[in-house]
Amino acid sequence: MTNAITYITHKSLRTSYVIQGDSMAASGPSADGNTNIPDYEYTDVNTTAFHIGSFRNEWLSRLKAEDCSYQQEDDDAFDANFAKEMGVAAETMTELKSICSLDSLRCHPEDEQPDTEVVPPDPTLKTLVQRKKKQDYRASLKVTKNRHDLYADELERLTVGRRPEEVADLVPEGEVILTINIYYPAIFEKFNYIRPHMTLLMTGSHSLAELRDAICCVSDLQVCGEFSNTPDIAPDFISKDHYKSAFFFFEGVFYNDMRFQECQDISMTVIEWAKARNFPPHSQAKMEDTQFVDLKVKVGFPYLYCHQGDCEHLVIITDVRLAHRNDCLDKKLYPLLTHKHRVTTQKCAVCHVFIGRWFTTNDQFAPSEPCLFCDKCFRMLHYDSEGNKLGDFLAYPYVDRGAFN
Amino acid sequence: MDFFRKQVKSDCEELLRRFQETDSVRFEVFSKIWREMNFAQIFYGTVGHEKRAFSRLVLDSTCRFFLPPFSFQIRVGGLYLLYSLYRCQTASPSEQIRLALKDWDDMKKFEKDAVDAQHVDVVYIFRQLMFLKAFHFTAMPTQLTYNKKKKVERSALCEEFIERASRPQQLINIELLEELSNIHDLYKKLKSSVSMTTEQADSSVNLIHKDLVPQLRSTVVDFYKWQQRKVRHLHRFLFKIICMCVFLDNISCSKRAGLLASIKSKAYGQASEVCALCYRF
Repeated sequence: MTNAITYITHKSLRTSYVIQGDSMAASGPSADGNTNIPDYEYTDVNTTAFHIGSFRNEWLSRLKAEDCSYQQEDDDAFDANFAKEMGVAAETMTELKSICSLDSLRCHPEDEQPDTEVVPPDPTLKTLVQRKKKQDYRASLKVTKNRHDLYADELERLTVGRRPEEVADLVPEGEVILTINIYYPAIFEKFNYIRPHMTLLMTGSHSLAELRDAICCVSDLQVCGEFSNTPDIAPDFISKDHYKSAFFFFEGVFYNDMRFQECQDISMTVIEWAKARNFPPHSQAKMEDTQFVDLKVKVGFPYLYCHQGDCEHLVIITDVRLAHRNDCLDKKLYPLLTHKHRVTTQKCAVCHVFIGRWFTTNDQFAPSEPCLFCDKCFRMLHYDSEGNKLGDFLAYPYVDRGAFN
Repeated sequence: MDFFRKQVKSDCEELLRRFQETDSVRFEVFSKIWREMNFAQIFYGTVGHEKRAFSRLVLDSTCRFFLPPFSFQIRVGGLYLLYSLYRCQTASPSEQIRLALKDWDDMKKFEKDAVDAQHVDVVYIFRQLMFLKAFHFTAMPTQLTYNKKKKVERSALCEEFIERASRPQQLINIELLEELSNIHDLYKKLKSSVSMTTEQADSSVNLIHKDLVPQLRSTVVDFYKWQQRKVRHLHRFLFKIICMCVFLDNISCSKRAGLLASIKSKAYGQASEVCALCYRF
């Protein structure tokens, strides 16, 4: 079946976009005709579709090299340049500098350093009044430390403003950085409201396959089968190694993962289904051959990532921008995780301490049907010291959905 | 962090309202109001990762004042506000101001207007932000997450900040012209149906110009052109006055300085007004 499908390869995709990009450029830089200047399709919801590589070129053609450089230029050179260009005398320049200096914005006496960690007394700004109210409420609670805040602080420490040790690992100037939200499958009612997701930063030169590898989902780690007789070999059979097929769906194109022999084209079912119902035609391409700069997408629009047959994640590209000197510039740290929703974990029914690893049914020792055990309690309860199975029960390995926390 | 959005918006609007009252585009006037309101304190009381999130929120919500449809003076205020917030934020390394590709031309136009009007402090602050690399060059002004709201909460733009088109253009717009020409056609048909005898309508019932609509339109266009010309003349005129003052050496020094200052302030006041006038049609 795969032979019948002609894949649009990376190369042909790129040339088709280049042609498009050129014709755009030829028609002049006017904003109206240029589809690579993103604008809202629905205000504050999502944009029209645009080509990411051409979008980057649009920016680069407008900016001077120093605007997106990581180097900080010289202060004095800036002043001299400004004075010359605007025809300002040296005297006026000094005055201008002092008027526009940080000191003129200072709201406290010079010799006093205010405590920026606390809301100042008797605030007049509405924001501060509100913040005070919130802090007072928080202080009235018994729990003072929020675990989520600690995780977020930790993550920020690990990601913001990192520079590589080797120059070769530096993200090149003028590269695009995409912010991508991957949502958890909405298999719980609650997830329709709180939209739990992880956020990854990727560069334009990353391929979709690299995004795929960076997405961690428990359904990749599930172990299928009943292992009550041989509990030691269970972890060798995770579904990620068994079922390697997956696809992304962006703007009418299915990007299949075809890196391994075992990979199947799982998008064909959908394509044929759509064809039979007179939907507009869909095309296919390979995930590993497609870089983000080759993509044509809408920012803010929900797309799809599907793996393990039916584990479906919404994918939203929330932002595309040029790299900045304050970004994490170490290539090796990308795809960079900047946010992760932490879900509650289910604990062992015996010790209530460790996360459940085994799931049993028909179990005479279990307090409930079915029942969760951590590895230690499971083995102590169900096997003798030589590792022989005691009694009659069925045991399935269990991977908690909070296992990645 | 969405928690603070409303409050931040109303604080910023309060600051800009006070700035608007002064009828000035000078940074020293702005910074005085900033100090009076203790605006730098808006960052106080945030800890840990909240700092970054709050900086993001504040910069995102003030960025819009820097762009049309706001009047030139409010946009200058918006620029000053962005600069001040950017410099005073507590997050380190700093959060950047998001600048969308589609807004680039507006921004360049703003810069050019400021250069042409010789608002040195406006240009200086703007170039400083560029120099400090305060901008993220982005696709859109905010991050988008397909946030469809069931109840659309119109983020009401502060009416008095928005610049007005001139009255004649406002009154006689495309829709009105279309409507008029439709009515005119109907009227013509009616007339010809009354005078059945001849093909051409009787000239005695010609009470209204035949080509009323095109005439009206060209009149408005002429008016607009005249207005533009006037603005340019005014600019040139003001510039001449200032030049003259500089050469008036025979006036005593202190008196001269006072005179110069008063003329300058009047000139700039009017210039910002006039600029506001000439942007739209």
